[in-house]
Amino acid sequence: MIRAGRLADTLIGLVPIALILLAWQAVHSAGLAPPALLPSPAAVFTRLAQQLGSPAYLEHAAATLYRLFAGFGLALAVGVALGVAATGSRAVGAVTGPIVRVLAPVPKIALYPAFILTLGFDDASKIAAVFVDAVFPILIATRQGTAVVEPKLAWSARAAGVSPARCLVTVVLPAALPSVLTGARIGLVISCIVVFLAEMITSTDGLGHLLVRAARNFQTVDMFVPLITISLLGLTLNAAFNALRARLLRGFPEES
Amino acid sequence: MTRLPGIPGLAPLVAFAGLLAGWEVAARGIGIDGLPPASRALAEVPGILADPESLINIGASLYRMALGFALGVAVAVPVGLMMGRSRHVAAFFNPLLMVIYPVPKAALMPIIMLWLGVGDASKTLVIFLGVSLPVVYHSYQGGRAVEEKMLWSAAAMGMGAPARLLRIVLPAALPEILVGCRTGLVLALITMVTSEMIARQSGVGNILFNSLDMAQYDTVYAMIVIIGVLGLALDAAFERLRAALVGWAEPSQALMVGTT
Repeated sequence: MIRAGRLADTLIGLVPIALILLAWQAVHSAGLAPPALLPSPAAVFTRLAQQLGSPAYLEHAAATLYRLFAGFGLALAVGVALGVAATGSRAVGAVTGPIVRVLAPVPKIALYPAFILTLGFDDASKIAAVFVDAVFPILIATRQGTAVVEPKLAWSARAAGVSPARCLVTVVLPAALPSVLTGARIGLVISCIVVFLAEMITSTDGLGHLLVRAARNFQTVDMFVPLITISLLGLTLNAAFNALRARLLRGFPEES
Repeated sequence: MTRLPGIPGLAPLVAFAGLLAGWEVAARGIGIDGLPPASRALAEVPGILADPESLINIGASLYRMALGFALGVAVAVPVGLMMGRSRHVAAFFNPLLMVIYPVPKAALMPIIMLWLGVGDASKTLVIFLGVSLPVVYHSYQGGRAVEEKMLWSAAAMGMGAPARLLRIVLPAALPEILVGCRTGLVLALITMVTSEMIARQSGVGNILFNSLDMAQYDTVYAMIVIIGVLGLALDAAFERLRAALVGWAEPSQALMVGTT
């Protein structure tokens, strides 16, 4: 019964996507839009398959992935460390709390010009842009997750003679893992988006650069391909992250 | 978040001053053209705000943002609430939203520009798309969490389905919806700036990047400060509105999510 319900839900969910593709094809076949403005779905997906097999395209994708993971990895390390420290020490909490409150609603992409000026046009400025955008959700989620950990857990560990710092890492952080992972997942999707935008604004390689290059040369088909690639990339990363989360959170009662 | 005891709102001000001081010290220590000290950048701010042309640009940006935000909320809240109340509607929209989510909305600019031109329409559409997703998501969560008994009582008293959605689900889900709107507001600002960076014609992002190209670094940093303060002010204003509307609900513990 439940399996059948899930299957039906999946089928229902495919309907709007199929409808969009159909409408796209219909507009194209009816000649409502010239192919220069809206290429046929077949042309776009053929081009996508072709590009995914071409080493040059994969090199651009690899450049994007490198920046994405470098920035996200840094954000994860710094965000989790600061979040735990802010819960563990009143002083750290008192300093980071207001700073986070001031910086979190600021549109971080506006800082990108500053990174270009200080770090140059290379990878470093893009990694920095990914880092500042991804670090806040991770930091805030870690802070909130560790703050609501059942105090008895920490008391028991402390009573058993564990030092406060060790207690934070071995008891509080694992107990806050669901919240930390939620923040990390949001950070990961944000990283995907920011790296693409940064490459669109100034870059000589990467998926975002391919989109801008195609736009300048008026190659409409090639404009769709990087966009579909980044969407697929986001979906894949999200699925991989969910699988990892399910493994890490085995035994947490309320997590599915 | 921790607050210093005493005057509320003092801690963020201290943090703000601290960040500016840190910037000033770092800039003087590093001493490169690309990073002017805070004092020089801040000295540019009054000049920009007094210049009618940049005021027109900022006004045009804000107009597009407000329009995109209003349209986004108007469409996303009903969709989200219906998703929350009906499993089939949720199953219908969920995969589509999952596919759209990781696409940078501002990256659609080049394609949308082909269809709608470089003007207000394409930028407003992009802002609309950026705002819609978080608002749909939070309205969905809010609609799903509505107490069933209230709906049963209303149905028993003869209230029809559309009236139930409007008079019970909407108010009950309002706190969660407003959390989504707050995220949407920050996103609207981000999408606005990014879309103007990509299609430079007018607006805040245009001033920012033109001064970057012309090596007017003080103006670049002044614009970054103006955009940052704009984000802070909008967020603070919305938080007051939220507190006034749904002061009865728990203060929002939601994550501030800044996707583009």
